Parts: sequence; structure tokens; C-alpha cells
Amino acid sequence: MPEPSVHLDGISKNFGDTVAVDRIDLVVEHGEFLTLLGPSGCGKTTTLNLIAGFLAPDAGAISLAGRPVNDLPPFRRDMGLVFQDYALFPHMSVAQNIAFGLRMRRIDRREIAQRVGEALGLVQLAGLGERRPTELSGGQRQRVALARALVIRPTVLLLDEPLSNLDLKLREDMRLEIMALQRKLAIATILVTHDQSEALVVSDRIAVMNRGRIEQVGRPAEIYERPASRFVAEFIGTMNFVAGQAVSSATAGHVCVVRTDYGQLTAPAPRAMRAGQQVQIAFRPERCRLAAATKPEAGAFLAVPGQVCQHVYLGTRTEVHVALQAGGHCIVELSNDGEQTLPAVGDDVCILLKGQDCSVVPTG
Amino acid sequence: MTGRAMSRLPWAVLRGLVGLIYVFMLGPIIITATVSFNAANQSRFPPVGLSLHWWAEALSPRWLQPLGFSVKLALLAAIITTLLGLPLAFGLTRYRFPGREVLIALSLGPLALPALVTGIGLLQLFQISGFGFLLGFPALLIAHVIICLPFCVRTVAIGLQAMPAKVEQAAASLGARPRTVFLEVTLPLIKSGLFAGASFAFIQSFTDYSISLFLSRAGMQPISVTILSFLDYGFAPTLAAVAVISMVAPLVLIFLVQHFFRIGDFVYGAGGGA
Amino acid sequence: MVGGNNGKHRLLPLLLVGIPGLYLLVFFVLPNAYLFAASFLKSESQMLTSQVTLDNYRFLFGHAVYLRAILRTFWIGAAVGALVVLVAYPLAFFLARTTSPWKGALIALSLTPLLASVVVRTYGWWVLLNREGAIDELLAALGWTHDRPVLLPSSGAIVIGLTHSLLPFGVLTILTTFNGINPNLERAAMSLGATRTRTFFSVTLPLSVPGVAGAFSLAFSLAISAYATPAILGGPASSTMATLIYDFMTTLDDWSLGSALGAALIISSMLLLVVGSVLGSRRVAL
Repeated sequence: MPEPSVHLDGISKNFGDTVAVDRIDLVVEHGEFLTLLGPSGCGKTTTLNLIAGFLAPDAGAISLAGRPVNDLPPFRRDMGLVFQDYALFPHMSVAQNIAFGLRMRRIDRREIAQRVGEALGLVQLAGLGERRPTELSGGQRQRVALARALVIRPTVLLLDEPLSNLDLKLREDMRLEIMALQRKLAIATILVTHDQSEALVVSDRIAVMNRGRIEQVGRPAEIYERPASRFVAEFIGTMNFVAGQAVSSATAGHVCVVRTDYGQLTAPAPRAMRAGQQVQIAFRPERCRLAAATKPEAGAFLAVPGQVCQHVYLGTRTEVHVALQAGGHCIVELSNDGEQTLPAVGDDVCILLKGQDCSVVPTG
Repeated sequence: MTGRAMSRLPWAVLRGLVGLIYVFMLGPIIITATVSFNAANQSRFPPVGLSLHWWAEALSPRWLQPLGFSVKLALLAAIITTLLGLPLAFGLTRYRFPGREVLIALSLGPLALPALVTGIGLLQLFQISGFGFLLGFPALLIAHVIICLPFCVRTVAIGLQAMPAKVEQAAASLGARPRTVFLEVTLPLIKSGLFAGASFAFIQSFTDYSISLFLSRAGMQPISVTILSFLDYGFAPTLAAVAVISMVAPLVLIFLVQHFFRIGDFVYGAGGGA
Repeated sequence: MVGGNNGKHRLLPLLLVGIPGLYLLVFFVLPNAYLFAASFLKSESQMLTSQVTLDNYRFLFGHAVYLRAILRTFWIGAAVGALVVLVAYPLAFFLARTTSPWKGALIALSLTPLLASVVVRTYGWWVLLNREGAIDELLAALGWTHDRPVLLPSSGAIVIGLTHSLLPFGVLTILTTFNGINPNLERAAMSLGATRTRTFFSVTLPLSVPGVAGAFSLAFSLAISAYATPAILGGPASSTMATLIYDFMTTLDDWSLGSALGAALIISSMLLLVVGSVLGSRRVAL
């Protein structure tokens, strides 16, 4: 089993009084695609710069492929970097840009020419080698930046919000291309982004960061369906919350019984809970049902009464906004499959929650 | 008048005004040029009679020697200024260190304080420190570098800031050592700024008289000083011809450099490049 | 460029700026400081002593002729500053807003006076303004046969000559300011119903005030330090601080008086610089 390509052990970085990165532990396996996801200022770009060597950590150790690199300057770390603004050399042609890293490694000219040609083909820019970056479109420049980073066959590929300057359609196409390339070349990759749908699409694992700490690391489905904290729950997609109190204690990963104003519900808790702790029941808009405001069904369902206040039409689905009886606001997503009838605005309804479709997270 | 003609009126007035201003600006220069064609030894405008006599005299060794001196001086001053200004601009833009603000003020100082006074101070300094023998070319060179430095520092700083973000980091990430990054990435991208600074330095040195008045010696004078001292004898058409010739050198230089290096971008601080 | 925090990197910036910094210190700061110090020293038979005294300043400010020269210098500076602003403003506005394909050439043309040496510029004015010059002859031809005003030498001629020389600086400064004004502000005003003229007075003009202040103080400070133009266009009755300094230092060989005047000039320039940068726009790259 090969060494993890990237290993961060207790990494911290401060800027004056601000803590940018706070004791981060992270492992990226060989061939894995990991995304650092979080809002601006959460420390994800600082972490990337620490891995790349443009910043030195105040504490902790960084290893690349088993080698400790704390003292290594960037030009010795064998990595491929793709920047948000591509950072292509404007005074060199596309081919010269791609060849740069190979020249630094003193590879002979014929092999360089061959590998540059291959790289251009890999990113579907064959024949554009003699152009200047200024003559290319945004998407093309992106590919050149990728080719330049990949042609040197680095230990790790670092992507710093590479798609944020592209428009939506191009972004969605490019992310699939990057994913396919990464799978093909099996290079450990770390992507930094604030775009959560991007993270869900391309990653093998996602590390959600907030204020310098990693709040949760896991596969996309885990992060989406079993968020460990309110922050993670709210950051990815839309999440509804119903306040309550834990009746019993629960160990991490096991179910927890929660008492709310509307009754009791047993739901999984990704983190450990104490009895009496203030908690939130978190549920996704598409994982609940709407029923008419008749007698609530007992048993495995929790019925939360309210009134429909708005419809939002989204093409494939409609969001039904419900004002809860006891205060607060929830969104229920109904598919526009032609088989469901939408309750009208002003109707009294009940939101039906099934325990296993919810997650229990600490309040605050 | 129609509505559109009414709204055009202010702009038309402005254009007329601007035309008059250009006449004001270029008039005296053109007048000097035409005076040099006077047949008699008089500075008359419009010229009385036409003759190239004074131009022939302007091209005699008596005037060509200081002209050549000025060119040599300005070229060397431009080169040395660039050699000093490049590391200075680099250090000031890229790093933070105690005393940085003071150094910035110092670098731009020679533009702000009267060159005349700096010239006198330098003269005194050279004399009392026993380096009086440097007066003439060496002292002029030293002083000219001082008054040229602000231009170079400024244009190189603009060039450095106009560089596309992170290209140096990209080069480092691809395995380039700091020296390689500088030679292959930074330097080519600030070429324009370097040449702009050198050109402005050349012009500044070539047209200076305030500092040169005090640091020259007989036989070792830039053309500006020679012209000024000749004025003690009054105006003469020869002078006009010489003055026009001394305007041509910087003009040609600027034209050439602008053509190859787009230094016009640096004229009012606008950055060039992507 | 982000370097590491190791000691080696801390040395690098000092190495880079050290030599140029030293050069500036020795050949720029030192001469000015020396001059400043010398102004407080007594001068005996053309040699500087080490006696500290305020006599030099008392002498200068005590004698009417020198005091007049100092005051004259400043009013010339203020007049030039004002005139430069008045003439440069419309030109800069035109250059900033014109859509003519000759825009670049016109801007270059407005800067060519900088290339012409002072003599080229001043000679032309001399030819125009002197007693047998073109303007004088024109006035005579128009019927003004007797007692025509002597236009040159005079302080007025100095003002005209300096305004002419310093115009490009004013244009550059104000043009930069105009380029810095967000064009959307003017479009917003026009969309709300203001005519082009109204937009100019309500939006553009107020926003350009920092540039105007900067241009004024720049022209002022350059005007008070100018030597050649006042020397050529002014007579002995119109001497300025700069011409006096030159006379003191060369013909009269009186270093301490010259230093005192020089020191006064330095202080005035520095004050103007501070005022200018506080009021004006700081379009400096560093």
C-alpha cells in the first residue's frame, strides 16, 4: 500500500493575531481526489499555500509521498499547481508554457516536444501550441494551465479555485473533464473551492473547513446526508432545522432520541450527544413529505404542522415554503413529475419526517 | 438650434479652446525654430530673410562637442540609473521592512526638492571633502543619476505591479529556482517599464541645467549649460538652431522606444499588460 | 512574491535596497542636509566658519531687496500654479474624454514641451515679448504708437514663460485624475436627467478637485525652484530666489547667504509637497 501522497499533521498558521489554519490533520491517498470546501476566509487557500510551500507553517509537519517537506522550497516539491487566474506566462507560447516545468527538470528537447504534444492532446488543444495565452479563450487558458501542471507528472496536483472565472456551462463541462483526467492519470489531487455543487460532483472525499478548522471529512454522500455540525449542514445545499432536546445520550454514529414541540423522533447522530443537550433535527427538503393537516400519523413519523406561504418553481421541481406553526420556516421540495398535487398557498399542511432521513446536530 | 446641436455646443467650444492652448504650447517652440532661419544676425519673428547660415554654424565642433558630451552623459546616466533603480524598485514593491516608507520618500525626493539646491550642496560637498577633481563628467554623472532615479523607480514599480498575478509562483511550483524565475519570468515582463524608466532618465539628464550649472567645468559641459552661458552675450539665431537640434535627440529616442516598447503606458501611471 | 520566514529571506530586501539607498543617502540627503546646516553658520571672507548664527536669515529677511525677491518668488509661484491649472484643466478634460483616433498623438503632443530645453521655450517668448519683438510690433501696427508697455524683462514675462514650461506637468496630473474617475458615475448622472454640462459641474468637477490641488502645488513648487526662465525673462529688478542663489554662489561667492536662501527653498518645497499630497491625489505606484 503506497504512502499517502499528502499528509498534514497538526498544521497551524497565524497571520499576526489572526489564526488562519488551526491544527489541521489531513491525509490524501494516492490517486484520491480531495476537495477543501468552505466559505472565503476559512483557511482553505492558506492550507493549499502551505502544502505548496509558499507559506511556512507555524506548527506541524507536512509530508509529500512520505517525504517531510517542511523545509523544502516550492521549486523542490514536485507538485502541479493550477491557479485561479491560470498564471500563464504571457510572453511565452502555449507550448513553451507547458514545456517550462520539463525544462526545469532538464529533460532533453526531444522528449519535451513529445510530452508537450501528448499533454496538448490530453486537454484537447492539439495544434494550438504556437498561440499566445492572450489569443485564447478563458476555457482554453484553463486547459493550458492544467496541461502545464500535469505534463511534469507531479506527486500531487493542487487546484486553487480553477473554475471560478468561467461561466456556468463551461464550468460544469470543465469539472467533468478534470475529473476524467484525474481518474485516468491517478494523481492525488486537492481542489480548493467554495462551490459546493462542484465539490459534490468531482470529489472522492470532501473536507469542509470553517474558520481554520476542518469540521468534517467524508465522502460526498456522507457530507450531504449526515452532516456532523450545523455549519456543514447549512453550507451544503439547503437544510431545514427543527429545534429539540436530546432525551438520552448517544455515541457517535448511533441513533439519538430527540424531544421537540411536535413530539419525539429517533434519528442518527454523526457526533456524540449528551442527554439534555440542545440539538437540531436537520432534514433535507427532498427527504420529507407533505400531508394535509389532518390527524398526524403516529409511529415512525414526526408531523410538523404549518401553512404554505410560497411556491418557487425550479423546472424539475418546486420548492414549497412552509411557515411552521410554532415559528420558523421550512422548505419542502416536490418533484414536478405530474403525479403529485401541490398544496396551494395558504393551505394548512403537515411536514412528515422519518427518523432515518434526518440527522441530529448540536445547536450552535 | 436643434436639441442635438445645443448639446454639441459646449464640446465645440472646448475643442476651440484646446486648439488655442496647443497654439500657446507649441507656438514659442516653432518661433524659435523659424528664428534660426534669419538671414541677418537678429532674432526676428517673422524672420527677415532666409538663410541656413546659422545652422551650419550650429553644426560646428564648438557646439557639437558639448552635444556629444550630453549624449554620452545621458546614456551613461540612464544605464547606471537603471542598474540602481531596478533593485530598489524590486525591494520596495515586493518586501516590507522597517524604514520602507522613508526609503520610498527618498527615492521620489529628487523630484520634489529643487535640483538647483541639490546641485549647490553637491558642489560644496565635493569641494570640502577634497573630491573637487571629480567636477566635470564624474560629478555630473553622479548628480544626474540622482535626479533620474525617481523616474526609473516609478516605472519599474508600475511594471512590477502590472505583472499578471502569480506567474512567479507558477514558475516556482514548476521547479524554477529564484534566479531562474527572475531571469525567465520577471525580467521579460518588466522590460517595458525598464525601458520607459531609462528613456525618461535619458531625457531628464539631457535637458537638465539646474544641477549641471554647478558641477560643470570648462570643456566638460552639457549642451544645456553651454547654451545658457552663451546667453550672456544675448540671443542669436545660432542659439536657436542649436536649441532645436538639442530637442531632436530626445524626440527621436522617445519615438523609437515607444514604437518598440509601448512606454506611453507609463506616462501617467497606467499599467500595461494583461 | 511570498518568501519563507527564514533569516536568509530577511536579508534579501536589505541587500536589494542597500546600495541604492546608500547612494541616495550620500549624494542626495547629505548635500541638502549640509546646505541646511551651512545656512546656520557664519561666513567670514568667503569661508564657512563653525560659528552657529541666525545672521544669514536676519540679513535676508532684513534687507528689503531680498525680502521683495522672496515675496516675488512666491507670488510668481502662486500665479503660475493658478494659470497652469486654468489652462491645463480644459486640455486634460478634452484629452480624457475625446474619442478622436488622434488621442494618443494629441497626448504625446501635449508633452513635447517637456522635451524642448528651457532655452527653446524661453527664446520663443523672448522673441515675442521683447522691446522690438513680434507682439510689440503688432501693437504698434494696431495704432498703439507711444508708451507701449515693456513686456520684457518683467515678472509678468516670467509668469508666462513658467506657465508655458510647466503646463505638461499640470496636464499629466489632472489627466491621471480624470482617468481615475469611474465613468459609470457620469453615466448615472445622465441617466437621472442631467445634461452633459450639468453632469460636468455636479459630478466631474468636484471629483477632479484632488487632481487640481495636486497640479497647483506641483506647478507652484516647480516654479519657485526654476532658474533659467526667470534668469532669461526677468531682469535684475525681477530676481527670484533661484536667481539670487545662483548669484550668491557664483558671482558673489557668499556660501552662507546662498545656503540660507537654499534652505528656505527646500523648506517651501517640502511644505508644498506635503500640502499637495494631503489635498491631492496620490497616484504613486509604490
